[in-house]
Amino acid sequence: MTHTQKRIIINEIVMALSTLSALIGMGFLFWILSVLIINGIDALSMSIFLNEGAPPGNSDGGLKHALIGQLYLVGYASFFGIPLGVLAGTYLSEYSQKSKVAEIIRDISDIMMSAPSIVIGAFVYAIVVAPSGHFSGWAGTIALSIIMLPIILRTTDDMLQLVPSTLREAAFALGAPKYKVIIQVVYRGAKAGILTGILLGVARVAGETAPLLFTSFNDNFLNTDMSQPMASLTVTMYNYATSPYEDWQQLGWAAAFILSMFILTLNILGRLFLLKKRGKR
Amino acid sequence: MATIIEINKEKALEVKNFEFTYAGVDTPSVKKLSMPVAKHNITALIGPSGCGKTTLLRSFNRMHDLYPNNKYNGEIIFKDRNILTSKEDLIKLRIQIGMIFQKPTAFPMSIFDNVAYGLKLQGIKNRTELSGRVEKALKDAAIWNEVKDRLKHDANGLSGGQQQRLCIARAVAVEPEVLLFDEPTSALDPISTAGIEELIVELRERVSIIIVTHNMQQAARVSDYTGFMYLGELIELGKTEDMFVTPKERLTEEYITGKFG
Repeated sequence: MTHTQKRIIINEIVMALSTLSALIGMGFLFWILSVLIINGIDALSMSIFLNEGAPPGNSDGGLKHALIGQLYLVGYASFFGIPLGVLAGTYLSEYSQKSKVAEIIRDISDIMMSAPSIVIGAFVYAIVVAPSGHFSGWAGTIALSIIMLPIILRTTDDMLQLVPSTLREAAFALGAPKYKVIIQVVYRGAKAGILTGILLGVARVAGETAPLLFTSFNDNFLNTDMSQPMASLTVTMYNYATSPYEDWQQLGWAAAFILSMFILTLNILGRLFLLKKRGKR
Repeated sequence: MATIIEINKEKALEVKNFEFTYAGVDTPSVKKLSMPVAKHNITALIGPSGCGKTTLLRSFNRMHDLYPNNKYNGEIIFKDRNILTSKEDLIKLRIQIGMIFQKPTAFPMSIFDNVAYGLKLQGIKNRTELSGRVEKALKDAAIWNEVKDRLKHDANGLSGGQQQRLCIARAVAVEPEVLLFDEPTSALDPISTAGIEELIVELRERVSIIIVTHNMQQAARVSDYTGFMYLGELIELGKTEDMFVTPKERLTEEYITGKFG
């Protein structure tokens, strides 16, 4: 066998193996998605959006309580997490002047991003749930905000640093004060990137279950009082799916489908923003 | 040792025993430098890379203050005051002394908003006044005809040369007294360069101009006075036509004849 022939054969083998691996990965992904879609759509009906939870055996049970609870939890988490994350990222990129403190904050954020979310849940349980004596929507919100914070902080920081410093200098050279340079020029330049970070951060917490088990717990009925335990799609899905009752399992499929579609949409939107930004360059 | 000619005209700026030291460095990048800058004239600063010409230019609008621990010494006199003191209002100073950068720095907004940016900073809100002054600035920068039908479009869609003229329009719009050009054509093609040079010469009517350039032909083409800097010192300042024909200093002669650089 000549050297060239050998090379060609090795190339073919490597290509075949990597293609096969990619196909296996994709295969599982589409398998999961198709099972989810088939079962989810099957379980979907108008009453799911209109009715609250019902005892097993009762055919008119719905997910309204979980959908609204989910919106409350993710909504409040975003309300606190997004501004905190964006402002902290702004501090790191624009005000910290590359100090030691900034480097430490960056490192800690990176660690927090990979921290198991259940640990965050346990932490909030210890500082909020245990002292107050009961689970609450606020506790869930705090846990989700903590998980969201490092993602938004680091993306904002990275995206702001991508804005060329000459652009800042040009704004300063026109006599702009620093806060206007940041808001009117730097934020604008990094808009798409920051928005992507926000969407990915929201998408990440919208799919969290473990930290909510410890904090907002669950509720089978509609509750909008944040100081009380609150239903979420994820925990409801977990409870329904692991229950022995078939109608609850059906609702679990529906919850899984709605949740996946929501997160998929957020992710696609995030990617679209980035694409649009790259296309302009 | 330096040969610096007297300028018997009104002066826009006067540098006296100026020294500048970057943060974390012991030796100054600009050393004991004194020079006049004639009003409504174009002064070019030439010299090899690292000679301190851009550092000097960025001192005139205190750009170095954006980064911590840089140190100024000596005086730069502008409108009867030393602008290097800590009580200098940098925002007002930068409105009076504008700057154009090496690479075009169009902001991520529309063409109109780019030019209106400095005006809005000054609190001009009236739409008619804004559009009037934006139009005038774009005409002054010789770009009006190219952009008048797309003022609302993103400025980043313009070519490099157009963006640079847009930046000039943006700087001219606030009616500064001095304009600093930091190698304004080094990122541009020859045709755009010629356009910018022509524009700089026209602007002399209204503003005093200091231009840093790597390109000696450019200095010879556009400037009235030329200063040659080497290793942080001003070696020679003279009328441009004399400097390039009969330089007084050996170093100047060696540099402009290409013996080093």
